[in-house]
Amino acid sequence: MSDKKIIIKTENLKKDYKEDGVVVHAVRGIDFMIEKGEFSAIVGPSGCGKTTLLNLISGLDTPDEGKVWLDGKLISDMSGKELSDFRRDNIGFIFQAYNLIPVLTVEENIEYIMLLQGIGKKERHNRVIEILEEVGLSGLENRRPTQLSGGQQQRVTIARAMVSKPKIILADEPTANLDSKTGTELLDMMAELNEKTGMTFLFSTHDKMVMERARRVVVLKDGMIVDKKEIDIV
Amino acid sequence: MLFLKMAFRNIFRQKRRTFFTALTMIGGFALACISIGWADGSYNNIIGMFTRGWLGHIQIHYKDYLDKPSIYKTIDNYNEIGKKIMEIKGVKSWTARVYSAGLASFKDKTSGVSIIGIDPEKEDKTTDFHKKIINGDYFKAGVKNQVLIGKGLAKIIKAKAGDKIILVSQAADGSMANDIFTVSGIVSTDDDLFDRTSFYMKLDDAREFLVLGNKVHEIAVTVDKLKEVKKIDKKISLVLKNTDLSVASWQEFAKDFYKAMKADKGGMWISLFVIILVVAVGVLNTILMSVLERIREYGVLKALGTRPGDIILLVLYEANIIAVFSIFIGAIIGFAVNYYLSLHGIHLSQSFTYGGMKFSEIMTEINLRSFIIPGITVLLTTVIVGFFPALKAAKTDPAKSLRFH
Ligand SMILES: Nc1ncnc2c1ncn2[C@@H]1O[C@H](COP(=O)(O)OP(=O)(O)O)[C@@H](O)[C@H]1O
Ligand SMILES: [Mg+2]
Repeated sequence: MSDKKIIIKTENLKKDYKEDGVVVHAVRGIDFMIEKGEFSAIVGPSGCGKTTLLNLISGLDTPDEGKVWLDGKLISDMSGKELSDFRRDNIGFIFQAYNLIPVLTVEENIEYIMLLQGIGKKERHNRVIEILEEVGLSGLENRRPTQLSGGQQQRVTIARAMVSKPKIILADEPTANLDSKTGTELLDMMAELNEKTGMTFLFSTHDKMVMERARRVVVLKDGMIVDKKEIDIV
Repeated sequence: MLFLKMAFRNIFRQKRRTFFTALTMIGGFALACISIGWADGSYNNIIGMFTRGWLGHIQIHYKDYLDKPSIYKTIDNYNEIGKKIMEIKGVKSWTARVYSAGLASFKDKTSGVSIIGIDPEKEDKTTDFHKKIINGDYFKAGVKNQVLIGKGLAKIIKAKAGDKIILVSQAADGSMANDIFTVSGIVSTDDDLFDRTSFYMKLDDAREFLVLGNKVHEIAVTVDKLKEVKKIDKKISLVLKNTDLSVASWQEFAKDFYKAMKADKGGMWISLFVIILVVAVGVLNTILMSVLERIREYGVLKALGTRPGDIILLVLYEANIIAVFSIFIGAIIGFAVNYYLSLHGIHLSQSFTYGGMKFSEIMTEINLRSFIIPGITVLLTTVIVGFFPALKAAKTDPAKSLRFH
């Protein structure tokens, strides 16, 4: 394990929310590490703090206490713009609700981050075509998101997350809105892409099928880690 | 480019809302455009008419002649002054006049008259004088002691073209002046009161009759461009610096009119302000609604690494695309209306007389500023009003907005 690189590391992460005067301890002191290239999952019942934890890791939300290192960099040290650029270049997001931009076509949704990065038109197009083939959506680049099924939309989201080759893919309950057959297909596809590209995948889920495919599983309950499993895949 | 494209497509997501926003902007622009064209046009028309009518744009007199006219308050060497004035760039023409009073008799009728000596050639160049003759002819060169009389005066003394009138007055040297003048034509100026006493003679005849030598009482100047009156007024003042003469632009000698016009134009700015307010409220409403609806989208964009500044741009682009389109349509409407009114004018229910001219119709004007002022106003209002919702969109907290409900 020591020769493997730690890509995500948290230290005593805490986050409280206050709603109508009631304080909710969403995340209560979480320490864990993820190694580069892993296919891992945070599991636990609804409301246990999975989304909050992922948001703290990606810097979309700021912790009340504790630290997050991504690829060796302490993200709480970064300014807003720095963090925003870091996220753009290093993290790919897959959301439960897909969250594609409705006015953009499939191709435009996928190339969005590359546009922000200033990548040239030709290379953008080539990479879009390439990734669309990988996620099995070749030929649909000019469709609008509303013209696609849920499973297809989630494939576009996966393509959008991966096309700019970030180091980390964070997926918050990516299969929760899909039927189990579609979900399984997508998971197998992501596992394959993980093998192929070596990108680190971190899921949150309460889907058994995700857990079965995960290399490491972190079990959360009431904002705390209650179990860690590391499965050695030979 | 990408944000412009997104903004453009966003416009069509809420067609109804976009339509009403555009309608507000188009209406605001067109109204402002027409009201400016109307205000500028009507006043430039009036100013143009009364200055060309008789008064000229700039007048020169002996110091306090206008307050207390007297035959002795004269402009000496008027020809030299006139030559110097013509050398100033932007001056169109000048003409000299002599004023006095006298008694005119024809047969058994006698009436008090205002003697006005005018330079036949220069006066016509300055005020199109020959157009005011309704009967008979204008002065003929080389013929001495011709007179043009106002139509009211003609009625009073029952004289017509060809009649010989005896005029009595006092000359500048104190002697009694009297001579016989032949009526060459009848003059109508729209100012009935004026026409009841006016007795125009050639400047040379008047100077000789009144023994004025090389002196006149008034020089009227017209310029090429109304805008340049004040500048040229200053230049003439400079030329006449060391004399007892005073120079006045129309803004001074037609003070009452000028004040009323300025007050009225102030009213135009107030109506412009009201238009801004209406457009502002409409724009704010639209942008705020669409920002609130799409807060989740802005959250996604931010999560993907879009900078806040780009999100501000995205929101402002959207509003300004509608604004530019509306200005374009509004300009077409404003142009069409102003063009129509500049040809056909608007009839006043009550005509009025000023400076010897009668006004019964007002024309609008098509000028650049009636498009530029409303255009800048609409764009600026859109940017300023749009900035706050844009800032709100840019400040979207992605974690909060993305929470799945
Ligand atoms: N913005 C918020 N305001 C108030 N409470 C919140 C907020 N976000 C999350 N919570 C609460 O924090 C807890 C953890 O939520 P979450 O991280 O979404 O859990 P999970 O993703 O595992 O379902 C829940 O009790 C939730 O109600
Ligand atoms: Mg969740």
